[in-house]
Amino acid sequence: MFMEIEDYREDLEIRHLRTKNHFVLALLTLMMILTLIYMLVSGFLLYHTLALLIGFLIVIMFNIAQLAYGKDIYQFYQLNKYITTMGVYALSIAIIFVFQSPSAITVLFIAYAISAFYQDLKVMFINNFLLLFSALMLMVNFSEYLNFQSSNTETEFGIAFFLVAFISILTISSFIIIKQKRFYYNQIALSRETEFRSIDLLIDLEEQNHQKRIDIDSYYKKAQDFFQEFSEILKLDNPFKERMGLLYMLEKNEPVNRILDRYPHYTKEDLERMEDLLIGGKHKLRKVAMKLGHTFTSEVGKAELFSEQQFKSFNHPNDALDVKILLFAVFYAALKRGIAGLPLADKAAMRRILTSTDYYYYVDPKVIDIYEKNSEVFDEICEDILGRKAER
Amino acid sequence: MKTFFRRIQDAEFLPIGEVRKLKVILVMAFLLLITAATIPFSIYFAYPDYVTIIVLSSFVLVYGLMIALLRMNRVTASTQISIIYSIGLTLFYSQGTSSFYAYLFFYITLTIIIFYQDFLSYLSYGLLILALGIYYIISHQEGLALAVDVPGFMYIYIFTLVLFYLIFFAQILYNEKLHSDMNDDWVKMNQVIDKYHDDITTYLELLRKQAKREPLHEERVFQKLVGELAVFVAEQVKDKGKDIMNVFDLYLYVHERGIEKILENEEISVQMKRTADRLNHYLFNRRTDMYSMLINFSSRFLETEKYKPSRYEYHIQHLAQYHDEQLIAFVMIYQYLVREVCGVDAWDQMNKVLTIDEIDQLFKSPEIEAFFSPQLIALYFENRDLFISHFVSCLVEKGGTS
Repeated sequence: MFMEIEDYREDLEIRHLRTKNHFVLALLTLMMILTLIYMLVSGFLLYHTLALLIGFLIVIMFNIAQLAYGKDIYQFYQLNKYITTMGVYALSIAIIFVFQSPSAITVLFIAYAISAFYQDLKVMFINNFLLLFSALMLMVNFSEYLNFQSSNTETEFGIAFFLVAFISILTISSFIIIKQKRFYYNQIALSRETEFRSIDLLIDLEEQNHQKRIDIDSYYKKAQDFFQEFSEILKLDNPFKERMGLLYMLEKNEPVNRILDRYPHYTKEDLERMEDLLIGGKHKLRKVAMKLGHTFTSEVGKAELFSEQQFKSFNHPNDALDVKILLFAVFYAALKRGIAGLPLADKAAMRRILTSTDYYYYVDPKVIDIYEKNSEVFDEICEDILGRKAER
Repeated sequence: MKTFFRRIQDAEFLPIGEVRKLKVILVMAFLLLITAATIPFSIYFAYPDYVTIIVLSSFVLVYGLMIALLRMNRVTASTQISIIYSIGLTLFYSQGTSSFYAYLFFYITLTIIIFYQDFLSYLSYGLLILALGIYYIISHQEGLALAVDVPGFMYIYIFTLVLFYLIFFAQILYNEKLHSDMNDDWVKMNQVIDKYHDDITTYLELLRKQAKREPLHEERVFQKLVGELAVFVAEQVKDKGKDIMNVFDLYLYVHERGIEKILENEEISVQMKRTADRLNHYLFNRRTDMYSMLINFSSRFLETEKYKPSRYEYHIQHLAQYHDEQLIAFVMIYQYLVREVCGVDAWDQMNKVLTIDEIDQLFKSPEIEAFFSPQLIALYFENRDLFISHFVSCLVEKGGTS
């Protein structure tokens, strides 16, 4: 994968974390209300009821505080996941000790379900550990809570076995669901990076083919004239003049010191930020304009499913193995032969990308295994046919 | 086995269909374990021996059916049967014993249904399990209670089962919405990326023609290389490499004749037409998935600017802090749109420049919200004539745009 997408993928996760935190908060509140109603109706000791109420309130208040701080510092959202997971287990264990009934043990499953809402790998590990630890602790040290009226060896073994089986299927399920969710984040982040690089490549090819670059002087001259007239209409002194001058110097790659000498009330950080407003080279504004142009010319139709056909790969499940083999051979040969205008891949990097990035999964497992085990043979075939120059 | 575990570990890279298959295999492995454990447990169940034997034999048969369906790539059918199988196991346990572990089975089956993350399955089968679970709790109270238990313990069992169901119901609904939104974004983004790739392919073709090179698929050296590589892989995978050359010949034939003529030809078998149709998505004579994958792969070797948080940001409000900067950015982008080539024209030449009408249309489209604030767009339409007089009229005089 691209290194660049890691941050963006994390950013995507954080964007959804706040909503998940709201859900968890609502569930905790519901759990508190139902527990208290039951305890009051069933005549539990008041100090037990109050102790649990305070416990719930601490976890809930902590949640609210973290949500408030998380608006400015997103790490609070992250912290909230772990603290709430531990808090909800602490509350469940407290309920089990207060109730002293096997029926209360099932509250642990609710704790698991609430924490599973975060759909986070680290939370999942904490969640599994806490569930397993709590279940084992109860079975070993507090076996009287499971001392049913009709208890026998079969029941005891059955409870232990199926509890472990339940935790196992929960773990597998949570793991794959989290991975599945990450697939979407991956694809979106990957598409963003692909778009970024495709625009870069398009700019390179455009300049190679049309043999021309953006006419910066003309762009700025016309913009200055426009802003002059626009300011006159508004009966203002041209407020754009200074910034336009500064941007022009940035476009012309003037040394930073010279720009700062001329515009002393700007800082280096201002200049770095304003680089995104340049239209030349591969600067951001040009990319915005290109994206805009392509958004117009594409027919963005009705959204289709994340179907196999949408997914570009040589591993579509309905394709025959021969087709998959041939397509990989064509792809590999084209990369080795090289296409004028596309950056060249060296041998080691090609192998690395094909065997240890998402590309590994774009090829049928049998085919990519053959490549992984015989990449030298592939290279020898290429060198024999294309000549030594194929070895880059 | 190693490959299988690697696929589980890296499930985030696999397409949905592959993950679905993985899920079924995992559930089947789990059910196999549970079914094996059911044999000794069934000794304690309150069934006559012949019922136990019939039920266990049915489980073995249904398991065989699941394997057969999976081998035939009928993943959806295997999914449904694995759920029904779990419900069958739950019924077998819950009707055979009143122990606490039979109650755990309701959670296990719910988890299996949750695992598939299918809303309708969860709604239908999940509700069925919930109803069976509640019935079980009410009818087997004595097996679930201590000698001295808390008052209304039965309600705690029911309440936790229902809450467990509801929490995961909310989670599945939330995931459906989230995935659907992300799916829309992804599809839209891919359509725009395909458009970039269309233009990149056109430029690559121009460069090839300038270099006076043959199209890649017509180069003898390339054909020989593909043939040798394909035969080598086919020999390793299938112990027989010659057949692959027929597929390669078909691939070249699709380039030469075009898919329409092949599909119209009644002498060509249905199987071959199907293969030709699949190969049509990977040709070299236009932008296809093959070109897109080559472009994506090669672009990994492009030197790009260092990562900064605005890397994937295209909204002017997020790129420019101040209103005057936003207006400057808008003016520059406007100039770019009226002056620069943005795709192929009606004659398939790389000369398309947007007209004023098209720009107006673009600024009125909903997609514009992803780039500019409504205030900037309103400012443009209020001062449209000024924009045209400064940035377009002079180009029209030079014959640059209409």
